[in-house]
Amino acid sequence: MTSSAPDARPPLPTATPHDAPPTEVSDAPGARLGEQGLQPVSPKLVPARYLAGIPGYVIGVLLTIGAIVAAVLTGWWWLGLTAIVPLALVVQGLALTPRRVRAIGYREGEEDLTVALGIMFRSVHTIPYGRVQSVKIDEGPVDRRYGLAKLTLSTAHDGAGVTLPGLPKDEAERLRALLTARGVELMAAL
Amino acid sequence: MTAPGPDPDPVPGAPRHRTHPITPLVTGWKVVVGIIAVLTAQNIAQLANEFTIRRALIGLGILLVVVLVAIVLSALSWWFTTYAVDEDGVSVHSGMISRSREYAPRARIESVSIERPLLARLLGLAKVRVEVAGGGESYLDIEYVSSARAEELRLGILEVAAGTSAASSSAVPVEGAPADGTGAEARAALAGGPTAGSSAAADHQDSGDAAREHGGRLEEVLYDGVTDGELIARIPTERLVRSLVRDLGFLTGIVMSVVGVVVAVLLALWQEGFSIAILVALAPTAIAVPKYVFGRIDSGWGFVSRFSERGLRMRRGLANTRTDNIAAGRIQRFDLRRPFLWRGPGWTAVSATVAGIDDDDENGATSVLPVGTREELRQTLGRLSAPLGTDDDLATLEHLLTARARDLPGLRTPVRWYWIALRTEVSILLPGALVHRSGLVSRKLSIVPRERIQELRLEDDPLARRLGVLDLHVEGAGDSLLLENLRRDDALAVHAVLAADARTLRRYRDRESWPRPALAPVGTAAPTPGSDPASAPGNAPEQERPAASVPGPRPDGQETR
Repeated sequence: MTSSAPDARPPLPTATPHDAPPTEVSDAPGARLGEQGLQPVSPKLVPARYLAGIPGYVIGVLLTIGAIVAAVLTGWWWLGLTAIVPLALVVQGLALTPRRVRAIGYREGEEDLTVALGIMFRSVHTIPYGRVQSVKIDEGPVDRRYGLAKLTLSTAHDGAGVTLPGLPKDEAERLRALLTARGVELMAAL
Repeated sequence: MTAPGPDPDPVPGAPRHRTHPITPLVTGWKVVVGIIAVLTAQNIAQLANEFTIRRALIGLGILLVVVLVAIVLSALSWWFTTYAVDEDGVSVHSGMISRSREYAPRARIESVSIERPLLARLLGLAKVRVEVAGGGESYLDIEYVSSARAEELRLGILEVAAGTSAASSSAVPVEGAPADGTGAEARAALAGGPTAGSSAAADHQDSGDAAREHGGRLEEVLYDGVTDGELIARIPTERLVRSLVRDLGFLTGIVMSVVGVVVAVLLALWQEGFSIAILVALAPTAIAVPKYVFGRIDSGWGFVSRFSERGLRMRRGLANTRTDNIAAGRIQRFDLRRPFLWRGPGWTAVSATVAGIDDDDENGATSVLPVGTREELRQTLGRLSAPLGTDDDLATLEHLLTARARDLPGLRTPVRWYWIALRTEVSILLPGALVHRSGLVSRKLSIVPRERIQELRLEDDPLARRLGVLDLHVEGAGDSLLLENLRRDDALAVHAVLAADARTLRRYRDRESWPRPALAPVGTAAPTPGSDPASAPGNAPEQERPAASVPGPRPDGQETR
């Protein structure tokens, strides 16, 4: 059959399908992608992240001081410029952590879980309950101090899975139980 | 490696076997070559300069000792390696000091392939590889056993995997006394014994050429026993060679590397005269190019695929031969490729992604059709995959491959600056699958069946926000398909449709209505394609497909991850 046959035309794609489910991921101008209806993670994640970040901040500050001292001692002013990188890292870490934490959110749908992360580079994951292969809960020492836990989901896809940090411990347990129960009920084959 | 199964040892009635006694020679040989390669590659210039008879003799002596040690070690490891096939799966025990027990549970066996590397083939041996669902190196190798035994094992393991091992004792015959059947027949045929004629003929009665006993046996040997079931594709050597000559990417790659080598040699000669160091430096390229060329020939040579109720069986190879088995309903994704000069004859190469099978080597099991005609493409896809849901799937695919990407209706980036992507990349959502067309000279179609989507990911960044675009990652079991820089509302609409597919299709509880391959396994006529209007792609495919006419994949053999 020739490719120019009229019946060979593939159907139009569903850019605007009339019977498609409504868009679930919101994209309002001014708001973050998929922000609507998201449940935020615990605000305790902000101090937890600050606490976990202390070694990094200390190293950054030491590097900055070292660069400035070196510049003063040697008289080569441009050595001071190398202080910019660690300083910038420390400052953005201190300034943006609360916003980063507020940008993390999740939503339990009827049949899938949505996880959104990130401010500038934002990714929105959609994972159907039936496709979840494993659920993992991690509590680091800092997390435990604040009563938080980290939930990691993975599907059959090659990759690290989706990580949802900063859940209160019982909320993480509840989610895990929900994912397991719904996963069994809605189990999908590969 | 595999999931921790029950301890296979105390299972009664599962005799453990050793691999073939010549195995140490085949495996030890590799060790010796490896050592020689490492030693000489680094010091060849020095060795050549300081050559004396005495040193050569010492070298040979050391080599001999190494060979002996390697063979002794291999023999020990052979002695401690045993395998067994029972109702619960396949197990391989190995190791002398630290013992390891690998186990492939029945329900997770994805496919069984037989590989015959050149040396093993000369000795009449073969390697049986049991692929298990799971990422990375999820397989179990039984290497090496005699070719006939490998065939028996393959049948036995497939039977176990299918869960029809009610008569497991006859399904897995003991090595000394093979049950009469394909195994014995294959053995006789491989040995060239005259007794094979009658049984081969019996096997071929269903294909209607009982008179051609001799031809049947020849075929049996030529195609490594891939003679039962319905013929799907057979690639003549002539077509294979012509396809390679017509593959511009392949040709330019070779020409570039040959020219590169010649130029490098000439430059070096001109600069500092002849020295062995140049040759050593160029050796990797000089070896890699012929190896690649040969690999391409090898991966398509004598290719034949047949379909039986066990799935698609494929055989290929000139020096290293292999037979693979892919069950229908396990394909996660297809990739169709058509280089520029294949457009005239309408040839297509098809590779498939199956969970658990790595596609790291050139001639892997993932290539289900190295170079096929339209009819072979139709047969292969029709057997292996659920229909795309259009009136005429083959015509649709043909259209998607032949038309200019600009003329295809579909989703593409709206950004004018990405002018290559604008002209080559387009994504089309068909009722049964998401199709992504890419490539300018060599055209590629990636087909992800809509029921195989595992998760979805939308990615946004400042540049994308400014341009009004979004990236959508469609992730199946295996690698993901990236739809780059779609318009934001397009991306969200497609995301919504695909998310609905990912959560509703292929549920265990609606197993009966899962999409099935369009062409029935054997004999029965293909059901008419779904009469769904092309304008309703949002429908769930399970409502559109005739599901009853096809005995589908066995329910209890399905993976239960």
